[in-house]
Amino acid sequence: MTTQPSVKTVTVTVDGVSLSVPEGTLLVEAAKQIQEDIPVYCYHTKLGPAGLCRICLVEIEKMPKLQIACNTVVTDGMVVHTASDKTMEGRRAVLEFLLLNHPLDCPICDKGGECDLQDFSMAYGQGASRKVEAKVAKPKAVDLGPTIVLDEERCIVCQRCVRFDDIITQERSLVVKDRGHRDIIATSTEEPYVSDFSGNVTELCPVGALTSKTYRFKSRPWDLNRTKTTCTQCSVGCQLYVDERYGDVLRTMSVAEDETSDGWLCDRGRYNIGFYNDPQRIASPLLRRGDEWEQIGWDDAVALWARQIREARDTTGPESIGVIGGGRLLNEEAFLLQHLFRSLGVENLDWRAGRQTVATPVFSGTYEELEAAQTILVFGVPPSQTAPVMDLRIRKAVVQRGARLVTVGPHSSGSSVTETHVRRVADIPSDAFDAERIAVVFDGIDATPMRDLHERFAELKRAGKSLIGFIPGEQPNARGAEAMGMLPRDGGRGTREVFSAAKDGGIRVLSLFGVNPALRFADGALATAALERTPFIVLSELFLTDTARFASLVLPAHGPFERDGHVLDMTGRVQRLFAAHAAPGGALSDGEMLVALADALDIEIPSPSALTARARAPEKRAMPRGEIRAAAPGGEAALRVIIRSDIFAGGGTVYHDERLEELRPRPIATLHPRTAQALGVAAGDLVDVIAGDRALRGLIVRVADAASEGTIRVVDGLPGAPANVLFDGEEVQVTKLEPAAPLAAAGAVAG
Amino acid sequence: MQLEKILTAGIGELDLCDIAVYREQGGYAQFERAVKELQPAAIVDIAAKSGLRGRGGAGFPTGRKWQFLPNNGRPRYMVCNCDEAEPGTFKDRMLLEYTPHQIIEGILIGTYAIGSRHAYMYIRGEFKRGYETFMKALEQARAADYVGERLFGSDYSVELTVHRGAGAYICGEETALLNSLEGKRGEPRLKPPFPAIKGLYGEPTVVNNVETLGYLPHILRRGPEWFAGVGTPKSTGYKIVSMSGHVQKPGNYEIPLGLPMRTLVYDIAGGLPPGRKFMGIQPGGGSSACLFEEHLDLGYDYEALAGAGSMLGSGAAVVFDDTTDFVKAAHSLVRFFAHESCGQCTPCREGGNWLEMTLERMLHGRGVESDVDMLVDVSHSMTGINLCPLGDSIEPFLASVVKRFPEQFYAYVRTPQTAVAV
Amino acid sequence: MLRAVIAGFVAILAGFRTTFGYLFVKKPTIAYPSIKKQHAPRFHGLHELRRYADGKERCIGCELCQIACPANAIVVVGAENTPADRRSPGERYAARYEIDELRCIFCGLCEEACPTDAIVLTPRFEMSDYRRGSFVYAKDRLLVPPQGGVGSAPDERPNGIPADLGAVAQQKSTVDIATGYDATWYGRALKTERRGLAG
Repeated sequence: MTTQPSVKTVTVTVDGVSLSVPEGTLLVEAAKQIQEDIPVYCYHTKLGPAGLCRICLVEIEKMPKLQIACNTVVTDGMVVHTASDKTMEGRRAVLEFLLLNHPLDCPICDKGGECDLQDFSMAYGQGASRKVEAKVAKPKAVDLGPTIVLDEERCIVCQRCVRFDDIITQERSLVVKDRGHRDIIATSTEEPYVSDFSGNVTELCPVGALTSKTYRFKSRPWDLNRTKTTCTQCSVGCQLYVDERYGDVLRTMSVAEDETSDGWLCDRGRYNIGFYNDPQRIASPLLRRGDEWEQIGWDDAVALWARQIREARDTTGPESIGVIGGGRLLNEEAFLLQHLFRSLGVENLDWRAGRQTVATPVFSGTYEELEAAQTILVFGVPPSQTAPVMDLRIRKAVVQRGARLVTVGPHSSGSSVTETHVRRVADIPSDAFDAERIAVVFDGIDATPMRDLHERFAELKRAGKSLIGFIPGEQPNARGAEAMGMLPRDGGRGTREVFSAAKDGGIRVLSLFGVNPALRFADGALATAALERTPFIVLSELFLTDTARFASLVLPAHGPFERDGHVLDMTGRVQRLFAAHAAPGGALSDGEMLVALADALDIEIPSPSALTARARAPEKRAMPRGEIRAAAPGGEAALRVIIRSDIFAGGGTVYHDERLEELRPRPIATLHPRTAQALGVAAGDLVDVIAGDRALRGLIVRVADAASEGTIRVVDGLPGAPANVLFDGEEVQVTKLEPAAPLAAAGAVAG
Repeated sequence: MQLEKILTAGIGELDLCDIAVYREQGGYAQFERAVKELQPAAIVDIAAKSGLRGRGGAGFPTGRKWQFLPNNGRPRYMVCNCDEAEPGTFKDRMLLEYTPHQIIEGILIGTYAIGSRHAYMYIRGEFKRGYETFMKALEQARAADYVGERLFGSDYSVELTVHRGAGAYICGEETALLNSLEGKRGEPRLKPPFPAIKGLYGEPTVVNNVETLGYLPHILRRGPEWFAGVGTPKSTGYKIVSMSGHVQKPGNYEIPLGLPMRTLVYDIAGGLPPGRKFMGIQPGGGSSACLFEEHLDLGYDYEALAGAGSMLGSGAAVVFDDTTDFVKAAHSLVRFFAHESCGQCTPCREGGNWLEMTLERMLHGRGVESDVDMLVDVSHSMTGINLCPLGDSIEPFLASVVKRFPEQFYAYVRTPQTAVAV
Repeated sequence: MLRAVIAGFVAILAGFRTTFGYLFVKKPTIAYPSIKKQHAPRFHGLHELRRYADGKERCIGCELCQIACPANAIVVVGAENTPADRRSPGERYAARYEIDELRCIFCGLCEEACPTDAIVLTPRFEMSDYRRGSFVYAKDRLLVPPQGGVGSAPDERPNGIPADLGAVAQQKSTVDIATGYDATWYGRALKTERRGLAG
């Protein structure tokens, strides 16, 4: 006996096949059960019916006119014909109308070959047009924004893009302008279309009207080699298709049926693919000789590395060796890394190399549960810039399911949905905890609010409420690294202590795997001092980053799409990676490097199959607590700095992707108009932000009403303007830079 | 022929824009009676019994429309549709400019009847004079406490908001009108859900035409039986007909439904100019099919016109005599509908423009013989598959005149010299 | 006996009739390469990428020839025209266009597939070389010189279809087949140049 509420089913006959579907199912979805796909343009499973394109016409018995399948709810006993003469005539007519003003530039259209208009025209169209007049001319190659090019002539006004921007992202910048056959897609404000999810509209577009700038005319779909893998740009773990041709990663596409991403990708994950063949990518191990880099062979590099480790262990002991990394490695590699160094007695192991201090929440939940939450509490850095696709879930929960979004801390959510924004934990409206299903999204940086709410959470849990936590961190596989043991145990030192020790000369060999503490570590001054004092630093990287300035040996590693293995996403789900691109000949994966090192050090390592089994079964152990940071000194500070994340910030893959030139954030300091006035600066001015003897120099002032008063907001992770010289929330001074003398002189002459 | 004037009573004789004059004629008494004495449900019953049907074009029974509203405790809205833009129709404008108080009273009664406390008046953007008149009247009504809080000592409060359109024909369609009211693009919504379930701001909403609401005070005063007794059993009551085209006395005439069209054309509108021959009549606005000599003895009511393949629509009758060039007439109407298409759904967006271009080409003498068949074929294939009725509005007139006067269309393709500059 | 001898002699003559008969027939052998035989105008030989008369490339880099090619002999990679560097009418041109003539089976399907009559098979056939690599013809050898264009380029409007597409399609090569027989325009230009140097 089942106590589940039974879903009422209705029986509908489609083309003679009898189907039982739940009540309320749309005909277009019901027909998919028997692979009787009804053609659609405007309808999309996730956007719902719009009834605009009229291609999904079907004949339903007892109805005089053809009906659109996308907005017809099946009723019991309905008899549908999807291939009758009347249906076909309706489709033919609609296709003739659609093609009247559609330019036949299929040969140069990026959609050609995977275009719904082509496919349905071949299947149901009539071949030739009866129209003799010229087609309506509209603008072509319209620069819609930094990522998208729009061809107005190809547009069939299905409004999928407009509805995506409305329903899914809630940003509402795309609109239809003009009327009738002169309809065009445009932004409501005539400003460029800027969205962190803009790439999705190119996939939604059933024709070639919206195309990606990065993929424009690069290839035809039939040339591409497709691999399904996991995106490791952030910790969400979206599945995606990687399309490659002649050794170039040309584009990525979302996986519609993926449960993790819900079928969407953010622009960082979609577009940050142009760095694989960048000329600056390291192609062989580099050894520092004074100020020069010397290319050396792998054998020499590994032998040198092993010798340094052995010497350090034998002379100053294993505590003078440090290892930082794992958040960008595969589970297999992270396990191997800690196994290898633990075998040497090294316990100074840590994955933490930025601001994030914890990756595994106490109570994990799935993204579906997040979507179903009634209250969503966001602490610290909002997920809109650290885990964008997860933020879409939050938006969906708020808008479609009526959840309440409460953001706590100096940052507001950055999403386009309504939120309650409070500064302190004490200000959280108490009725926020009344909900049955509560989700906590915590940036993993400052655990103070978690400590303050510890009792409250325990109470909720005791009351039998659903409480789930998410930590959208900075590094994609931080949770995997934690589960694989990349954390100090038994008296080992964490990153901060390693750096403190190194600053005093206590660390001899430091191995860094895919981390950039010089740019990203929360205490930039400490990291720089530590790296400067450490005699031998090995860095596994793709590019010569800010940290490479301090390295003695730089090892070329494999990039995200060049790996085969497993990672954990932030919910703890094991995700599979498949290599989609061949790494440059001189590069080795971090795993291969470690195997070579183990060989050189005579350390036994687990067999590949044992390693894979281990990577698939993350360890369930007591999780570390996040760091409690000293509260910012109270009192009335004139100006505090807020360090903000940006999905396109970073010194590695984004910095070396020439296709993303327009998307990279500029070194901007954002101020509220009143704050700017009080400081005597205006938009466009150059300023230095100074705290004691540390300074962040040469920022461009931007004035925005959305900024909070009394704060200056800067972007984290920009090479050339490393915001980690400042502490988040500390008091700062601003000095305006006067225009350089020659410029002023020129101005005087011109005046 | 002497007609009884109901809605049009006093127009041209009295200054009905003045609330004092209107009240002397018994104005606002019915609204007061309704609030004080009648339950909303009773008024819905009266409207249903009277057989009053929507005068805006679709002819849907008003009482039934009101009964569709769900009892879900949500706020409801009454919207008065004064976005009159159907080619040939000018009745709402007259009512707006000459008897605004009658409209206000109708709206208030309708609002009370459906249990709503907020009504909206959507006035076509081009009706500047009507809008000003209406606003003055509304001020007077507000000052006289017909609109506002706790009316006549009861706990019934009502608010009336006036909104001006921006000049789109499509906003006369009820869901497009609701979108426009909400500040969105004036595009029809997908149905279902219907406005009665999910209308303005997602709440149950009734959209009624000005004329429909205008009859309410009269029905209340004289009883539903009086209204039901006029006209035919299914088309009851009176209707204002906007007569135009080739008649001697064009204008608005209020007639009992079911009046023979011959009487309408020859007796009421004064017949055709001397020496002209009757060729056709478009009885219900630009979207209705053309009727001809043999149909003249049909009654002017919903059923008879539908039976003849046309419709009563908004009650705009255009008469054509033998000087009419039906190709130009068709072109003019098709151009209107193509221009007014909102561009949402495919057949209307593309088909209308295609037909317009084809007709224009024929008028320029570049037509070919197959164009005539194509006109019929294309207009037919774009009909019945649209999101809203606009796309279906082209075929009736075009197909009916091509069928009746094919020689006029072939004349343009066979003898290019008849072409004129358009 | 004598009869047998005569009969035998006659038999030999009869046997040689064809052979001796050819002594008096005009010899088909030509002194190639000094004298060259003319092929049929529609002979399928070496490819040529054509231009419009205004010098713009006809090829729009659509890759339809590549997908039509049964021997996988063609590689095309498209790119976008910029206002500063406009190669072809419209938005797209072929940044890379290569045909491996050793792989090619000279079926002419590329010609059939081409929407702009850009790729054609000329009657040229001489492309012998000592290196395999030299049989991969890239744009530098396939594309005719700017002055060798045919037909007017379409308007920049996308629906402007070149008016002369039919006429150009009839034209097999931009080279006069009665006079020019060099393997490529490239070879001919080279020869002319050399002759000039020698002279």
